Formats: sequence, structure tokens, C-alpha cells
Amino acid sequence: MAFAAGLVAMVARCSKDWEEAGGIAAQALALQARAAPLAHADAEAWEDALSALRRAGTGGGDDGGPRRDHALEQKLERAAIVPLEIAALGADTAALAAVAGERCDGAYRADAAAAAALAAGGARAAAHLVEVNLGVQEGDERLAEARRSERAADEAAERLLAAIR
Amino acid sequence: MSTLDTLTDAELVRRCRAGDPEAWNTLVERFSRYVYAICVKGFRLKEEDAEDVFQDVFTRVYTHLDKLRDDAAVRPWIAQLTRRLCLDAIARGSREQPAPEQDFEESSDDFAEIEEAFAVREAVTTLGDACQEILDRFFARDQSYRTISAELEIPAGTIASRIARCLRKLREKLEAA
Repeated sequence: MAFAAGLVAMVARCSKDWEEAGGIAAQALALQARAAPLAHADAEAWEDALSALRRAGTGGGDDGGPRRDHALEQKLERAAIVPLEIAALGADTAALAAVAGERCDGAYRADAAAAAALAAGGARAAAHLVEVNLGVQEGDERLAEARRSERAADEAAERLLAAIR
Repeated sequence: MSTLDTLTDAELVRRCRAGDPEAWNTLVERFSRYVYAICVKGFRLKEEDAEDVFQDVFTRVYTHLDKLRDDAAVRPWIAQLTRRLCLDAIARGSREQPAPEQDFEESSDDFAEIEEAFAVREAVTTLGDACQEILDRFFARDQSYRTISAELEIPAGTIASRIARCLRKLREKLEAA
């Protein structure tokens, strides 16, 4: 995701005749800055949830019964919230890449499309992680939110790819 | 927002000199984050030391405001006062526990960053409400385009361009300053 946002910034910076390029590059860099800590938080939250799952599987843990289940549920939920934010970031990055692709210097349009496709892929992977980490069914609001981000990112990327084919 | 918030620094200083208590509150509010940023980010003071310096700065501003020769220069005056008091705090601390020299070398870039950040912040306040709102939501509150779209009731597809236009206006203001 950070790479996709960096690509958008590069496309904007290279488009010298585009008046809004500076503002688009600034947004891309802001999205890039949000991505790195999220990746770190995702790994940490998942490691934490995995340890809790292992303890639950072996009957370990400091407390038993409902309290342990609640603690495990909380850890799994945290492991799903970070990818939910990553999915939203993917939607934003793809949307920004689409704007860049429509208005940038033509020589860099393919780079913008690559950024949009990367961001859409990231959003899809993150939405899948939300589903897996929560173990929820369709209809759960968090999963629905992740799916909305995935769809928005996909649509932005598809629109741009269709325009340059 | 109080009507005093729209006053220039010089106008605000004049109101403070005239003894307007509300103007004093506004002055403290306007410069409190600036003073605190210099203490914590520039000089890396501990929280309790930063609070002491903060109190001391505004006490001195209150008692010495008559000595300020150019009302419009209140910001650099407060910055200078804050730096001097931060150095005093460090000197007091170093008598108990010497501070590593490297900290002072590293902090010069931070000062430039603080100055720049506050110049940007001031320029943002001169933009229209719509620009202030959207820039704050995206850059300060890290809101997504979708959230901004839903809360401000503007089409999601136009947000990136709106932000870009606001940033262009902001750049023009900063270049003109």
C-alpha cells in the first residue's frame, strides 16, 4: 500500500503541467505515512491473537471460562480492525491513483494504473483478513465495511485500467 | 469561534494592553501549542519541566508586554522568551544530571519544523471554512475520503481534487506571506 501511494506521489510530481499535482502528491505522501505503522500494527495484533488462540487450544491462559473467551474475542477483533483500516487506506489510495491517472502527464498514466491495481489488491487482501480474523458471516458490519472499501478500490482501478487499454 | 480569534497578533496585543481579560485568554490559547512545541519538540524537556516553562513564559508575557516594541512581533518575542527559559531549565537540570550535548545539535532542525508548522497553521486559518474543514479532516484527523464524503455530504470522487485545490490556495498564501 505504501508503495502504491509512493507511486501516485511520483506520478504527480512528474506531471509538471498539472496544477493540482502538488496537492495530489501531498495526499499520496500522507497516505503513505499512514500505511507503514498500520502494517506494523497488523503484524503485532495478529501475533497477539495467534498466541491467544494457541493458549486457548491447549487449555492454557491465566483465567478460564467466559473471561478467557472474552479476552480471546477481543484479541481477534483487534486483529481484524487493523486490516479494516488497511482496506480503507487501499480504497483511498486507489481513488487518488485514479484521479492522478485521469489528469497526469500521459507518459505516467500506466504508473498510476499500476498504483491503483496494487492498492486494490491490498484492499482485497485486507478485506479477506477481516473475514478470516473475525471468523464472521456475511452481514457483519465490519466485514461489510471492509467489502465496501474493497469494491471502491476495485472500481477505481478498473475505471483507470479501462481508460488506458 | 470567538470574535477575538480573527484579530491579528498586533490587534490582540493591543487589546491585552488595554486590559481585556478575554484577549488574554485568546492570546494564551493562540500561542500555547507553539510554546509547548518548542519546549517538548525543540528542547525535549520532560513534561513537568515543560509545564514550568509554559507557566513562566506566560507570566513574563503578562508582566512584560509593555516592553514589546512591535506588537506584530509578539510571536518571535514569545519564541525567544521560551527558548531562553528552556535553556535555563536545562541548565538547572544539568547541574543535577548533565544532558548529552547531541540533543542540542539535533534540535535545530526541529525548530525550523516547528516554525514551519505554525506558519502553515496560521496560513490555514486564512483559508475559507470549507478548506479548513477538509484539510483538517484529511491531514490532522486522518479521515478517509469516504468518511469525509459521508460527514460533509460531498461526492467521494471530488474530495481528492477539493483537497488539492485547497492546498494550492494554501501554497499561494504561504508564498505571498
